[in-house]
Amino acid sequence: MQPVNHEAPAGRVLDIAMATHLFASDWAYCDQMATYAAALVSQRRADSLRYANLFSSVLNELLETVFRQHHPHGEIACRIFRGEPHDRIELTIPCDASTRAFYESAMVDASSPDVAEKYLSSLLDNAISDPRIGLLELAADYRAQLSLVENAGDTLTLVVDIIIDDSAI
Amino acid sequence: MQSTMSYTARFDENNQEIVLAGSIRPKGADELAELRKTFDRAIQATRGTLYLNAKRLVQLNNAGFQEITNFVKSAGLQKPNLKITVITSSYVGWSLRKFSLLQKIGSNVTVEQYDKDFYPGQSVLEDSGFIPILRTQTKMTWRHERDLLPRHGLKPAMAVADICCGIGDFAALVYKEFQPSRLLAIDHSKPSLAYARKVASDFHIEGIEYVHGDAANLLVEDNEFDFVTCRHSLQVFDRPELILKELFRICKPGGRVYITNEKNSHCLGEPRADSIQWTYNEVARLWAHFKMDIELGPKSRRFLLDAGFDDVQVESFMVTNRDGDPQDFADVIASWEDVYAGQMAVQRGDTAEFIARFRQGFQDHISAALHPKGYAGWPIWAASARKPR
Repeated sequence: MQPVNHEAPAGRVLDIAMATHLFASDWAYCDQMATYAAALVSQRRADSLRYANLFSSVLNELLETVFRQHHPHGEIACRIFRGEPHDRIELTIPCDASTRAFYESAMVDASSPDVAEKYLSSLLDNAISDPRIGLLELAADYRAQLSLVENAGDTLTLVVDIIIDDSAI
Repeated sequence: MQSTMSYTARFDENNQEIVLAGSIRPKGADELAELRKTFDRAIQATRGTLYLNAKRLVQLNNAGFQEITNFVKSAGLQKPNLKITVITSSYVGWSLRKFSLLQKIGSNVTVEQYDKDFYPGQSVLEDSGFIPILRTQTKMTWRHERDLLPRHGLKPAMAVADICCGIGDFAALVYKEFQPSRLLAIDHSKPSLAYARKVASDFHIEGIEYVHGDAANLLVEDNEFDFVTCRHSLQVFDRPELILKELFRICKPGGRVYITNEKNSHCLGEPRADSIQWTYNEVARLWAHFKMDIELGPKSRRFLLDAGFDDVQVESFMVTNRDGDPQDFADVIASWEDVYAGQMAVQRGDTAEFIARFRQGFQDHISAALHPKGYAGWPIWAASARKPR
């Protein structure tokens, strides 16, 4: 389990909670939650549409990962913080041993120096979709810092600190 | 809210181009049967280079991207000599970075970023020295448009989009005068947007979203705005119908689109009317040479009807030297002379004799504007139309 690298940004802008079985009942919820959250958190950015588009991509990949890898009972909570320079997404999910093992292993891969090669390999070489692929992309392409926090009561929190690239704005 | 699979994939055989648009976020490859059919058909029908146009692909998850990588790999196996060129847009932040990974598959794949070619002749308008003149122009036209906009349907508390907002001064005036519930201002020029944001900040205007975007491929969802404006812009595009298609798309059913354009050959002045008229007729020809139509104003009705709008309203107004300070009018004409005679005519390869006569008409227009008994005019056509419910 890696330590969280940054202080949580002060500005908490959004909390979404959903029963896991409900979330897992429809793939479209990933897209809908990502689009909704992105529209809200993009307010008062230098370029709101560009920010929303990128943020939606990031959050959608996280939610799709959780959709594929979660323990079926309990609640999923998504918290979004606005900070400077990075924003933070926290996804708290119910977990059992296998779920925990998946995320711990994915964190190791996502923080490895050759994460870009791992993402490319996952993308190009695997006939069957690799459930880590979204996390690898966030680390490789968005330079997100990913970490896990163990909570009481068989949940863990996936913490993603990210600076949305505004170089083209 | 867009659904996970609200995308289109169309193969244009004439252009050997697959056009992807919308959002592709499938759970698995089995949801992409139609996309795969399009890809297969394209591979079979194409020789030489196949273009994969992703300019309007707004979202793509990794499951969808894997399907595209499979397509590229399959194309390489079936037709080893086939080249694939992927066209991305700089306005979609992830697009170039993500699609560039396809180049790892093989040397037959190239990835390009589209944008600049769509805006012929506009670099000169992005020159920061031109900005004060643009502000003066808006000041002059606003005197008319402030009264005219309500007749075309603009009311307070509407959701408004200003497409091709330029330096953002019109959006700021609309914001102050009409208090829209939302005001999105989009332009493709980063220097113009930077200026717009600075002006908004200086004036403590916080309610305008200034956004970098391509008017022909907007990252805005369908049916989002009550009132969409696009001023003095259709005339600078060689394909105005593409812009109108987007204005139609983002306008709510029952909402209105408002456009302004010029007919520069109708600029006039007294005294020295003949010289002035000759020069502005030549301005129209000069713009046409650069594939822009500065005569578009009276064609607005046809363009709006062809784009699918109804309830078209067209009116014209004349900005004159009698509106406010005549020196403002003279300054605008002087800037036109600099750009049209000093840059565009030179670029076209015009003779010194032609350019001297061309400049004289602008000088005569300036003289008319500043003459104690003179009159100088610049006509503008304002048109609006409703998107059918």
